[in-house]
Amino acid sequence: MSDRVLGGCGLLLAFFYIWQATQIRVSFISDPLGPKSFPIIIGAMLGLASLYMILRPDPEPVWPRFARLFEIAVAVAVLAAYAMLLPELGFVISTALAAAFLSWRLGAGPIAAPVAGIGISLGIYAVFHLILGLSLARGPLGL
Amino acid sequence: METLSNLADGFVIALTLQNLFLALLGCFLGTVIGALPGLGPSNGVAILIPLAFTLGLPATPALILLTSVYYGAMYGGRISSILLNIPGDEPAMMTTLDGYPMAQQGRAGEALALSGVASFVGAFFATWGLVFLAPQLVKVALLFGPAEYFALFSLAFATLGGIASRNQAKAAMAAALGLGIAMIGVDGQTGVPRFAFGNVHFYDGIDFLVAIVGLFAVSEVFVFLEHRGEARGAGQEDKMKLGRVTPSLATLAGTGWTMARSTVLGFLSGVLPGAGASLGSFISYSVEKRLVDREGTFGTGDPRGVAAPEAGNNAAAGGALVPMLALGVPGSGTTAVLLAMLLALNITPGPLLFQSNPDVVWGLVAALFIGNLMLLLLNIPMVSLFVRVLLVPPKYLMPIVAMISFVGIYGISGSTFDLLVMIVFGVIGWVLRKLEVPLVPIILGVLLGNEMESNLRRALTISDGDWSILVGSPLAIILWALAITGFVLPMLFGRFFRMRMRHERAGEEGADPD
Amino acid sequence: MNRLHSWRVAAVSAVAAVALSGAANAFEPEATECIAPANPGGGWDFTCRQVGKTLQDLGLIPGTMQVTNLAGGGGGVAYAEVVNKRGDDNDLIVAASSATATRLAQGAYPGNTMDQVRWLGAVGADYGVIAVSKDSPINTLSELMEQIKADPRSISVAGGSAVGGWDHLKVLLAAQAAGIDDVRNVKYVAFNGGGEAVTQLLAGSVQAFTGDASEAKGFVDSGDIKVVAVLAPERLEGDFSAFPTAREQGIDVIGANWRGFYAPGGMSDEAYDYWVEAIGNVYASDEWKDIMARNGLAPLDLQGAEFEAFVRESVDRITGLSRDIGLLQ
Repeated sequence: MSDRVLGGCGLLLAFFYIWQATQIRVSFISDPLGPKSFPIIIGAMLGLASLYMILRPDPEPVWPRFARLFEIAVAVAVLAAYAMLLPELGFVISTALAAAFLSWRLGAGPIAAPVAGIGISLGIYAVFHLILGLSLARGPLGL
Repeated sequence: METLSNLADGFVIALTLQNLFLALLGCFLGTVIGALPGLGPSNGVAILIPLAFTLGLPATPALILLTSVYYGAMYGGRISSILLNIPGDEPAMMTTLDGYPMAQQGRAGEALALSGVASFVGAFFATWGLVFLAPQLVKVALLFGPAEYFALFSLAFATLGGIASRNQAKAAMAAALGLGIAMIGVDGQTGVPRFAFGNVHFYDGIDFLVAIVGLFAVSEVFVFLEHRGEARGAGQEDKMKLGRVTPSLATLAGTGWTMARSTVLGFLSGVLPGAGASLGSFISYSVEKRLVDREGTFGTGDPRGVAAPEAGNNAAAGGALVPMLALGVPGSGTTAVLLAMLLALNITPGPLLFQSNPDVVWGLVAALFIGNLMLLLLNIPMVSLFVRVLLVPPKYLMPIVAMISFVGIYGISGSTFDLLVMIVFGVIGWVLRKLEVPLVPIILGVLLGNEMESNLRRALTISDGDWSILVGSPLAIILWALAITGFVLPMLFGRFFRMRMRHERAGEEGADPD
Repeated sequence: MNRLHSWRVAAVSAVAAVALSGAANAFEPEATECIAPANPGGGWDFTCRQVGKTLQDLGLIPGTMQVTNLAGGGGGVAYAEVVNKRGDDNDLIVAASSATATRLAQGAYPGNTMDQVRWLGAVGADYGVIAVSKDSPINTLSELMEQIKADPRSISVAGGSAVGGWDHLKVLLAAQAAGIDDVRNVKYVAFNGGGEAVTQLLAGSVQAFTGDASEAKGFVDSGDIKVVAVLAPERLEGDFSAFPTAREQGIDVIGANWRGFYAPGGMSDEAYDYWVEAIGNVYASDEWKDIMARNGLAPLDLQGAEFEAFVRESVDRITGLSRDIGLLQ
């Protein structure tokens, strides 16, 4: 069933992709093949592969229980929030928070997790900023 | 003979205390940078250029430092591939296929040591190739016009079928996804944006680093979240066996020919601008699987599947220096950065470089030999240190991996948008792994898609739309023939034969073994 | 696409130790920052890092200049960031080049125009060249243009930028000046950088090459290619002095790939004057001239208002040309 769902999604994506490809605005200068053909071929390939998956699906994988799916969804949300807050809060604070959360959800205790978060954050800051000299997001504390 | 005396002069230049120290520093930093997901050889070299300037290094020492970083990163990429199933950089992608299964079987140390040796072999012979064959190889590079490149990339995709043997449709779907992603951004041949939805962030396309880190590293975090608290069969239990840290002589002997073939293939891919190390490791792996994988052990922890891509990508790294030095054409992101560095040091690469700046060229070549030897000596004893990464409990290890992935991408591009795209790739990667859709073809598509399309369109522009240009040279015809007889036909007939064999066996034993 | 292409000039413009005269300005820079609108290792990155280092060496700025990489949209992401969020930052400069002007002209930075920032100055320029292979029967730019006029299909021109990019526009400007009415007929093949394009010229896949002088230098020295025109106002010095300009051949066209900086639109006048002078002094030093001579780089001495006028003129010209060829509606 899962393969069929994926195949269905792939098929929809293929249609969308081909439709988008036909919408590409072509300027007056164009090469003989043009910017649309190759994407259309790719879309067709995606569609055919998806169709095959719908017709000949593999055995069903083991999906996690709903609680675990929810857990992953929360992790996605936290990581997205981390990405957005990075320029606002600065690297050290936001990374400590995100790392502590992940560590907690992966089984670290209520004390170990924040400690791990702060340690990871400072460690990465030291390696990437102080040694390698990458410019990481500067926050209100200058870190 | 003259070449050898030039090389001896090069060693005189390279063997000063300062240069040896720089090589050691470069090798160490390179290995670390290569192992960190999100930082590959090109970014590694780029971010260390300011260091070279800050130290006020003249041309030769600066090049020694940076090429050591380059070679070091090619070594380092395999470490996270084998230990964590996360490629440290894009050429190390193929090493995950057999390296990680070996680690799961408690042979992490052996895999690391073997791949270290393979890396050494690849880089060592590639450097000799650079010494003796550079002028001849330039002529090979000149044989490749757009039509030949298109045939070459088609050959690469044809080999995909051989790699993903379980379900061809899923491999095809993954390749199409990767190619589709590669199309995003401004089209070089017409200047119009494609699939960008008016969003300026998409105009440059999607960086393959964002895709690779998302698909492999971020999705790995989700996998661990999913299985928290369960005794995972994935070999991540607390009592993970580290295994021996040196490969047995039998293993080394068994992979000898694999390394030799992969070195040649990798080196040739490296010499072609626009192909590069990723294609080198990919082709090496798929050809090796085609040639020697009679028992179907590739993908399940076969040492040859570790040796092939590592010899291939390190040989390609050496090969890529040929067009950079002799033509001034960067064959990869890393050589582009090195080339910029050369120009900044007032050295113009090109056909005359070997005559006009022999000290630079031969000093560099000598440094490559020295750096490569150092990396071997550095990497083999450190294997026992590397494998200890596996002793770190996942509740601490995975947040570290995730955060390093984020910082690697953000530190380079400074873009929140890239991070969000990476998370999306993480989710996609997790779903596709569940459904056993291979991730390697996606990355291959993202890496090669643009070049494949551009070269097809360049060829057709040059020929005014005449498709016969695609088979217009003997080289192109040879490449097409290889693709068809070597990979497409066996795929079609292989299925036919397997089905017949199954029927026969089913008839004899009265049971369907599948 | 242009990342590989544009670092060459920057790499060269990057290395110099310059003696700045002690500037007595009302403005005192604090935590200075240079945004490189591309990944590390690209042209803009080099421009930022080297100018930043020079400023630091001379003690003109306190501490180090922070280099921030803000990649995306061919510089458009950084441009939008400076306009929208950093509009009044006095300590910020941003690396720019002809590619910036080209994209502004073609509306490739959606919603942004060149008036939203202040243009500081140039640190050098790489003039365009048009070349053919050494065995080609064509010897001059006029002959090349005649051939294109007679049979546009017979000449494929290779360049390192995308269609509509600077390498393409240079050859179209030349064609326009040579009296070719419909420049869309010029057959242009886009490669990933000048090096790849030259290689294809050597390989015989294409008949002509359009690029920057620095990209062609290695092959000019070895005699593998024949430069038919340099798109500079006067003959270049050094190795390129043997090659005629397009103007000498009666085709009035100049193509300069410049490198420089812009600053946020809300920067105070004192700060603007400070940065203009600092960049002008970097440019004026002897060491810098030496580097330019060795690398086929030519002078482009423009700061402050002059530079702004120069950018405006090139934006207008590119806008016009892009309309003509249909890249802009």
